[in-house]
Amino acid sequence: MKMKKILSTLALALALSVTLTACGTGTTVTTAAAAAATTKAAGAAETTAAAAAAETTAAAAATIAAKDIYIPVISKGLQHQFWQVVKKGADAAAAKYGITITFEGPASESEIAAQVTMLDSAIAKKPSAICLAALSTDSVMDQLNKCLASKIPVIGFDSGVPGAPEGSIYANASTDNTAAGALAATSMFPALEAQIKAATVAAPVRIAVLSQDATSESVKGRTKGFIDKMIELVKGAGIADIAVVGHDMYKNDVAEKSAAVVIDVAVSATTAAADLATSASALLNKSPIAIYGSNESAANGILDATNEGADLGAIVAVGFDAGIRQKTAVAAGYFLGSITQDPYNIGYQAVELAYKAVIGEAVANVDTGAKFYTAANMNDASIKDLVYD
Amino acid sequence: MSVGNNVGSGAAVKIKSPKKVSQRLLTFAALLVIYIFFCFFGRNFFGYETALNILDASVYIGFAAIGVTFVIISGGIDLSLGTVQMCSAMVGGVLFRKLGMPFGLALVFILITGTMFGLFNGFLIAKLKLPAFIATLGTMMIAIGLSSVISNVQTYNFPARTEVAGGWFKDVFSKLQLDNGWTIPTGAILLLVVLLLANVVLTKTKIGRYTYAIGSNEEAARLSGVNTVLWKTVPYAISGFCAGLAGISYACTYTTVLPGSGSGMELDAIAATYIGGASTTGGSGSVFGTIIGVFIMSCLRVGLPSMDLQPHYQKLMTGIVVIVAVLIDMSQQKKH
Repeated sequence: MKMKKILSTLALALALSVTLTACGTGTTVTTAAAAAATTKAAGAAETTAAAAAAETTAAAAATIAAKDIYIPVISKGLQHQFWQVVKKGADAAAAKYGITITFEGPASESEIAAQVTMLDSAIAKKPSAICLAALSTDSVMDQLNKCLASKIPVIGFDSGVPGAPEGSIYANASTDNTAAGALAATSMFPALEAQIKAATVAAPVRIAVLSQDATSESVKGRTKGFIDKMIELVKGAGIADIAVVGHDMYKNDVAEKSAAVVIDVAVSATTAAADLATSASALLNKSPIAIYGSNESAANGILDATNEGADLGAIVAVGFDAGIRQKTAVAAGYFLGSITQDPYNIGYQAVELAYKAVIGEAVANVDTGAKFYTAANMNDASIKDLVYD
Repeated sequence: MSVGNNVGSGAAVKIKSPKKVSQRLLTFAALLVIYIFFCFFGRNFFGYETALNILDASVYIGFAAIGVTFVIISGGIDLSLGTVQMCSAMVGGVLFRKLGMPFGLALVFILITGTMFGLFNGFLIAKLKLPAFIATLGTMMIAIGLSSVISNVQTYNFPARTEVAGGWFKDVFSKLQLDNGWTIPTGAILLLVVLLLANVVLTKTKIGRYTYAIGSNEEAARLSGVNTVLWKTVPYAISGFCAGLAGISYACTYTTVLPGSGSGMELDAIAATYIGGASTTGGSGSVFGTIIGVFIMSCLRVGLPSMDLQPHYQKLMTGIVVIVAVLIDMSQQKKH
């Protein structure tokens, strides 16, 4: 029968494509200590690891063979090169300890539902531990409680899992985002000092801030950290009339028309590149003296709106994270500089903390650090490895 | 009206059903094959926990898909349901969090918002004769914009289990966790109830008969005395109401509602409807087939990660399934 034929072709195509994709990604996604192990063997190993992990106490857990430890690492997305460097660090730690990890993340950083499904699947696989950079803590409360109940250690990384149930997060490997945002303000300020000192209510100056969302803790911290530090610095320069305008979450009580320094905060409508570029244009149209983009997407939004930075002119721009476009703008001097986190260290520390938690060692939060890079120092040995392409 | 009834309950609908049953059996068989495949090759796939995960990933798409099935049977399309779903949820979130409305009442307003969007679509399409594709494309964008505007581009969170106001939300619309460790998938039970209800409406009532009739041949239905303006609006209103239900379900399962989100979710629901045997030209389809389509997609979504594959492969696989399912449907139609 014709229909039967088609159906069997469907089954075959389905089976084939699943097998093919499994083969294709096996090497890149999974960093297995025993690389030769087949999928089936690895599967069996995981089951025993999970069973062992569930039964044993922390002390006895030390006896778990490293190759039996499986740790899914769930990131916020894979679309930015940032995450690729995090993955490199995670892979390096996995190779060092001889454990198995998988690195996964939703296609974009607004796909909360996809990440929740991913976490559900990860828990169902009964892993030894989980590394998680949550898009929204509220969305994964049930899952975290489940981990807590079944004693699966969760390690937060990047923005971590703020507000998680007590005891579910064993430790975090993350940048202190508020400090990193403050570093952006401190680094930018010397270039603005003269103009800010000359500012009056009659002739105010604007400082623009672009953020991709008002949702994630990391972006909120960097934005708030920048604004608070900038206010402190401006007050230090003798200007008291500072208005923060734009987004509700950040604005203060000072009216825009009675301020000498206006900090103008824009949050993009969505995380799509086009929306960030639109928000950047809107900010730049109001002729600020400086602009700060609080992550790679925001910095790219500024670049999209200014012909890769060439049209910035005298506007002092500071970005966040790296990526080839932002690096080029920094090297060309269009950007004063950018703040870099240490994505490699974030990935490495996350997996190391997870490993230590599994074998029962005490773990504590790790600040993975942030640095300001400029055209002058971006090729120094201490910076070079942090600013990914 | 009696003439209209003849069209609806006439031979046109009845003749199609045996074929559709076998089609539905085929899709169900495909679902079983996929599930069993993952049981063998996935890591700890077989079990209650994974089954619950599949339900979790299905319920909100299920509601939306049931709604859009009515529209597709009537020969139309609804591109707006994904963003209407999220916009309706956002309305509820804003009413509850910002304006302090009692949570239960906010949920009612979610359903009202969805239905209003549906009625608006129906008005544009049935009364103003706008092509469904264009009308719902416009509504889709309106919903994105509206949810950003009313939320001031802020994220809104629905109540967690521990919250006093609305702490019952997850128990009722997602999962009820009993003290003895058992989990009851209340959301899935609700979906089942809505599914059975929708099936009754579609097969036993005037709404269903006229929906099929308009989808099979709108002109014939109109000439037989069916008020096509009214009865073409109804499927869109149902779709909007179901989008509201989907919004509640999404907000319950995933807690956080992002402003301006939802585009792309309608495609999952529409794809499920076609996998389930509905025809692009209208006049055929069933809510049971649609639900099987939803489960095929969720099974892939949950199953592929259990084989350590990124869930993005789910989209790729679903694409293949949609094409193959429609090919089978066409080859069967030729035979008849």
